[in-house]
Amino acid sequence: MKIKRLIYLLLAGATVMSSCKKEFLDEKPPTAVPVADAIKTENDLADAVNGMYNAMRSSSFYGRDIPVIVDELADVTYISGTNSGRYLAYQNYSYIAGTAEPANIWGQGYFTILQANRIIYAANGMGNTNNVNQLKGEAYIVRATCYLEMLNFFAQPYTVNPAADGVPLITAPTNIIGPFVKPSRATSTAVYAKIISDLDSAFAIMPTAGTALHATNSEYLAKYAAKAIQSRAYLYKGDYANARDAALAVVTSGGYTLTPSTGYLAYWANPAAQSTKVETIFELALNSATNNGTNGLDNFYWQNAGYGDALVYTDLYNSYSATDIRKSLITTTSPTRGAVLGIGKYTAFNNASEKDDIKVIRYAEVLLTLAEGYARTSNDVLGLQYLNQVAKQRDPSFVGYVSTGAALLTDILNERKKELAFEGLRYFDLTRLNLQVVRPVQAGTAPTAAGLAVTDAKRIFPIPQGEIDANPNIKQNPGY
Amino acid sequence: MKQKLLIILLLGFAVLTNAFAQDRKITGRVLSADDSQPLPGVSVKIKGTTKGVLTDGDGNFAISAATGQTLIFSFIGYSEHSAVVPAGNLPVIKLTTNNKLLSEVVVTDGYTTQSKKFRTGASTTIAGVENENKPFSSPLQALQGEVPGLNVVMQSGQPGANVQVRLRGISSIGAGSNPLYVIDGMIINAGDLSRLTTSTNVLSGINENDIESITVLKDASETAIYGSRGANGVIVINTKRGKAGKTQVRLDIEAGNTKNINPPTAGRPLTADEWKTLFIEGENNAAADFPATYTPARVASDIAGAGLSGGLSNDWLKLVTRTGQQQQYNVSINGGTEATRVFSSVGYYKQEATTIASNLKRYTGQFNVDHSISKKVGLSANINFSNINQNTPSNGGAFANPNGGIWFLTPYQLAYNPDGSFNTSRSGNTNFNSNYNPLFLAANDKKYDSQTRILTALSLKWNILDNLKFTSFGSIDYNLLEEQRFDNPTLGDGRSAFGRGYDDYSRFFNWLTRNQFEYRTELISDLRFNATAGYEAQRSQSYFITAQSNGYPATQPLLTASAAASTPIAGSGTFSNYAFDSFYGIGGFVYRGRYSLTATFRRDGSSVFGTTKQFGNFYSVGGAWNIDQENFFNKQHILSSAKLRGSYGTVGNAQGLGNYQARATAGYGSNYAGANGQNYNTVGNPELTWESQKKTDIGVDFGFLHDRLSFSVDYYRNNIDNLIQTAQISRTTGFSGITQNIGAMINKGVEASIKGVPVRTKDFLWTTSFNIALNQNRVLSLINHAPVASSTFQFREGMDLNTYFVRLYAGVDPANGNALWYTDGTRTATTSVYGNATRVNQYQADPKAFGGFSNTFNYKGFNLTAELYYNFGNMVNDANWGFYLNDGSAPISNKYYYDYAHRWTTPGQVTDVPKYSNAGVNAGQSSNFSTRLLYYGDYLRLKNLVVGYEFKNINVLKKWGISRLYLYGRGTNLWTKTYDSRLPFDPEQGTGGLANLDVFQAKTFTIGLNVGF
Repeated sequence: MKIKRLIYLLLAGATVMSSCKKEFLDEKPPTAVPVADAIKTENDLADAVNGMYNAMRSSSFYGRDIPVIVDELADVTYISGTNSGRYLAYQNYSYIAGTAEPANIWGQGYFTILQANRIIYAANGMGNTNNVNQLKGEAYIVRATCYLEMLNFFAQPYTVNPAADGVPLITAPTNIIGPFVKPSRATSTAVYAKIISDLDSAFAIMPTAGTALHATNSEYLAKYAAKAIQSRAYLYKGDYANARDAALAVVTSGGYTLTPSTGYLAYWANPAAQSTKVETIFELALNSATNNGTNGLDNFYWQNAGYGDALVYTDLYNSYSATDIRKSLITTTSPTRGAVLGIGKYTAFNNASEKDDIKVIRYAEVLLTLAEGYARTSNDVLGLQYLNQVAKQRDPSFVGYVSTGAALLTDILNERKKELAFEGLRYFDLTRLNLQVVRPVQAGTAPTAAGLAVTDAKRIFPIPQGEIDANPNIKQNPGY
Repeated sequence: MKQKLLIILLLGFAVLTNAFAQDRKITGRVLSADDSQPLPGVSVKIKGTTKGVLTDGDGNFAISAATGQTLIFSFIGYSEHSAVVPAGNLPVIKLTTNNKLLSEVVVTDGYTTQSKKFRTGASTTIAGVENENKPFSSPLQALQGEVPGLNVVMQSGQPGANVQVRLRGISSIGAGSNPLYVIDGMIINAGDLSRLTTSTNVLSGINENDIESITVLKDASETAIYGSRGANGVIVINTKRGKAGKTQVRLDIEAGNTKNINPPTAGRPLTADEWKTLFIEGENNAAADFPATYTPARVASDIAGAGLSGGLSNDWLKLVTRTGQQQQYNVSINGGTEATRVFSSVGYYKQEATTIASNLKRYTGQFNVDHSISKKVGLSANINFSNINQNTPSNGGAFANPNGGIWFLTPYQLAYNPDGSFNTSRSGNTNFNSNYNPLFLAANDKKYDSQTRILTALSLKWNILDNLKFTSFGSIDYNLLEEQRFDNPTLGDGRSAFGRGYDDYSRFFNWLTRNQFEYRTELISDLRFNATAGYEAQRSQSYFITAQSNGYPATQPLLTASAAASTPIAGSGTFSNYAFDSFYGIGGFVYRGRYSLTATFRRDGSSVFGTTKQFGNFYSVGGAWNIDQENFFNKQHILSSAKLRGSYGTVGNAQGLGNYQARATAGYGSNYAGANGQNYNTVGNPELTWESQKKTDIGVDFGFLHDRLSFSVDYYRNNIDNLIQTAQISRTTGFSGITQNIGAMINKGVEASIKGVPVRTKDFLWTTSFNIALNQNRVLSLINHAPVASSTFQFREGMDLNTYFVRLYAGVDPANGNALWYTDGTRTATTSVYGNATRVNQYQADPKAFGGFSNTFNYKGFNLTAELYYNFGNMVNDANWGFYLNDGSAPISNKYYYDYAHRWTTPGQVTDVPKYSNAGVNAGQSSNFSTRLLYYGDYLRLKNLVVGYEFKNINVLKKWGISRLYLYGRGTNLWTKTYDSRLPFDPEQGTGGLANLDVFQAKTFTIGLNVGF
């Protein structure tokens, strides 16, 4: 009896003690790690960089909203009368503080910036190996690219008012600064200064040959991508000498080339990464496993697949000569809409094994920036040379521009429109130069808004209502 | 650590004192004579001494006494009983009730077992026998209308669908409002655990016939012991235990069918002719208003496009509904010796819904054994096994929803080809261009769940001393879901992928251990004291596998296994766990059976909370006064019983909080270019913790005429603080919101129930009961005190949480048939521009009053039971589908008959349905959400009607060994009374009030036979 009792006692005791441990309540998530411990090794750092690119390629950001909206706000695309109800606010200039896309761009932009901040913060304590420098440099470039995009959308152009309210400048991760910060807007000057310095930092530390840790191809930012983005930033800032110099660095030392016109369609038809430095300086990867699905740019643009909601102004189509290979990138019939002009740059929606990458910056843009940089620093000869390098490559029958002065600048601007159409850049050429949007006359279901004056409040987006509600220190843009 | 020490000390103390105990121990058991249920808290005294003990939760007691001494057993509500201590074992003591009709209720909640008389809290116990054999797939459905304050709603007629249960109102905004479920002492994972299936319910695995009782714990005194999980109320289900004696075998057979409850007349879909009339009228009206757009050519092509020219049509409502089969078979065995008692059962249940492709088959098994190892040590074990097989069609706007087909297919889209085969053609105006043929889908698609559940527990009870008992309890709640969804390659969602199959496997392994000491004593004469202290740990581990494959053999419709597919699309596995770690104590005094004082305390730690707020303390205090035990009470003869009780305490709720939401983490899966990617994507909140409800309850229970008429009334206030909500933060952090404890709400109300026996003669008995619950919900505090829009509602301080935020419909302009809305809440000016009408906060979606009314008549062997359920004071809404099903803005869909019958056609006509135009009226906005799409949700429903006959004293039966034979016929949902002639759908829509084209509710007609051997 005594023994039996003892057994019971032991049994009882054992069950009592079995789970009475401190760690018992420390349940670890299956797919996540505490953010403070997330980046400990170079491999972690590479994973975080991938996560950053993943954030950047969201359909709320570069993956769809940015390219679609920027061309639509300008004079490149319009929304078909037969549409899925998306993006109508941008051709009508009817966005308000509560409209979804500006809020998405704002939110996804800062989410991407958060990832970059986290990488830079972690990398600061990880030494100066090639791997760390490469990855940290990529984060610098992404942060700068995002801030430039945010300024473009939410702040008056620097060229119009350098002291204008920019966007809040956040340079440390949220786990360090806390989730309850309520930052006010930094001036455009301050944000540009950070953009330029981030790109300088990236260029200074990144190894020219990339790193063994992750692939060196067009889907990852490389050292000269820092200069390429910087040439864009200087151009938007109106600092043409520096834009010229940054672009020139890419041209002389970056190793990039243009494809001959015979390869141009194949270049756009190829949805995969390439490591030949032809045309693409940086693109965001989308593949069969990781893509935006029906929210992808391909589904939105491609007439033979999904929505095909965006159409091309006839005016743009007509601006290409018959021998211009770029004209072939505009489709002229649609299975559902009939004879309309569609976009042929993103066509891999039905490709089961690969999806279109999203072009963020291409060599042609750098060349055109270089041309403009020269033209605006009184060197029309070189300006013309680089302009024609692009234009004649696309249209082998073209004899080349011969203009000078203001006419040259107009030609460069038009060539940018033709070359960079559907890549989310055109509207910012108009805003940085403080030009009115003048939409061409379009038969059929053209937008009702014929254009946008330079004084219009809708030139820039409202600060999203959610930010206003949560952050009393943020100032709304005038007119919203 | 302190807890550990305390427990070790107690254990040590127990062993020591036990070693010194020398006297002869008399052990025994006290049961209620009428139902053989153990009676806890019975006073056992040795006559002529002051020595006495109380029985424990199982009716057991142990006392030192000498042979020949007399033991006196006394208990409120029962006649005193005395027994002389024999030389050998004391036989089981059975107490008989003292002529009061209400039998003693014993509440077993997993921690204690106690006579309800001495409890200070508010709870309702429903004996399992009341709901046996009801043709419901889950025992919760039967509770509708039976428990005051418990709102039970079946939004779907899908057998096995989840049931919405709310106790004393909606108690949370951002967390869940479901009660906690405890089965045989185990805190289970309840609700809908499925991932692919439309709706499932864990509790469908419990056979009603295995249930001994269901107790709904309501106030702080009853729920605080469940700590951070008890705030929404606790539903305690106890299964039947074996009783010593002759083995009883019971066989229950029931079979019948289910008949569809069609939409009310206002909401019946149009016949082919009506629809045709309306469509053509709509085209003509459009052509009159917009001749430029609706040219004669366009009108002709629209009409051709609508398939009107062919002349053939069909009735989709008839096609997608049917008469279903309903069957159940249960066998149970109950018996054993005093030392070993067994209850065991097996059951089979089958129900076909009235909507095609919707059915359920269930197999259940229960095995409960109670065994006394020695006089001091007892063991109880139970195993509940169930397997549920469900086919659940889609609901809502899914093209695959057969009930959606009633509306989104026109009568001119033909289900069958002329040769009788299914029409799967996708081109042509009588075929399925964009939507699907639901009949073909029902035959070829799959949305299937096989849910296997094992709930098993073992508890060891050790009476260390006469007064001190140790209980060790361990339980495993194991759920396994194998779900398959298959979309065929020919027609429907799977067509573009050449057939699409999903296989999801989910496993939930949930264990709990509880070790407690229970001490009962009589401190001084007539002052009883009991104290329980224990430690509990629980961990639930879930494991999920998800797979998708595309490309199925097009001409092999039976090959739906994903291994037959050509292209694997997705395959992943993950898990999700939570753990609770708790220490608790319960203490109480009872003086002379008159005054009860109880206190409970629980310190709860949970893995789902933030690291700085991981532990919390919950408590309650309660008091009860059994006035009927006072001497002065017996001086009057009007009241036969009276009790006053009150309680206060704080209880928590954190339901639905993600298991890892409180942690700031970087998540993997944000992959890039085929490589791993991690993102800082969970902002976390180390301060995140439970919502707390401060509950006050005051109740009275009193009875007249030997309790032939009894009343129970409760007033309660649940003050909810620290509501879990997502508060916006600056997006510059990378996050839009953070889950925080912020805001407050209150539920207050009154519950009353009346039970009576209006007639009682030798042959005739009429019993009746009625209950009502009146709840008032008010939002007290929101983030920044700002109103929050939430679909059709706006949360606003000072108002009911589910108050609609809606434009007020003002009928139709008699001059032109346009819809009108009031410009604002003053209802003075109207506008025909929808956007110019401002929204007002008016009408609520959760009911103001609900309850049940039931009557049973027994005459000789015959009985008749009728149970009514009622629900008043809410508005249900058609915000999801009303836009499509009312006016002509979406012309290619069927319409409500009410619109057809009342539409404006001629100038001067006064009506409330606008002109019908296929171009839409009011710029297509006439059927946008407004009070036009709100309907009075008031209804009264005959839930259950049973007529039966008990064959008694028939010699033939006795010869065959049949001790009981009961034959009955039952009908459920036979009659429903609504109070809105415009209401187009069933009024039972839940606290959100939103109709979602779910599987129809059904009437069931069954005939059953209960045989006892």
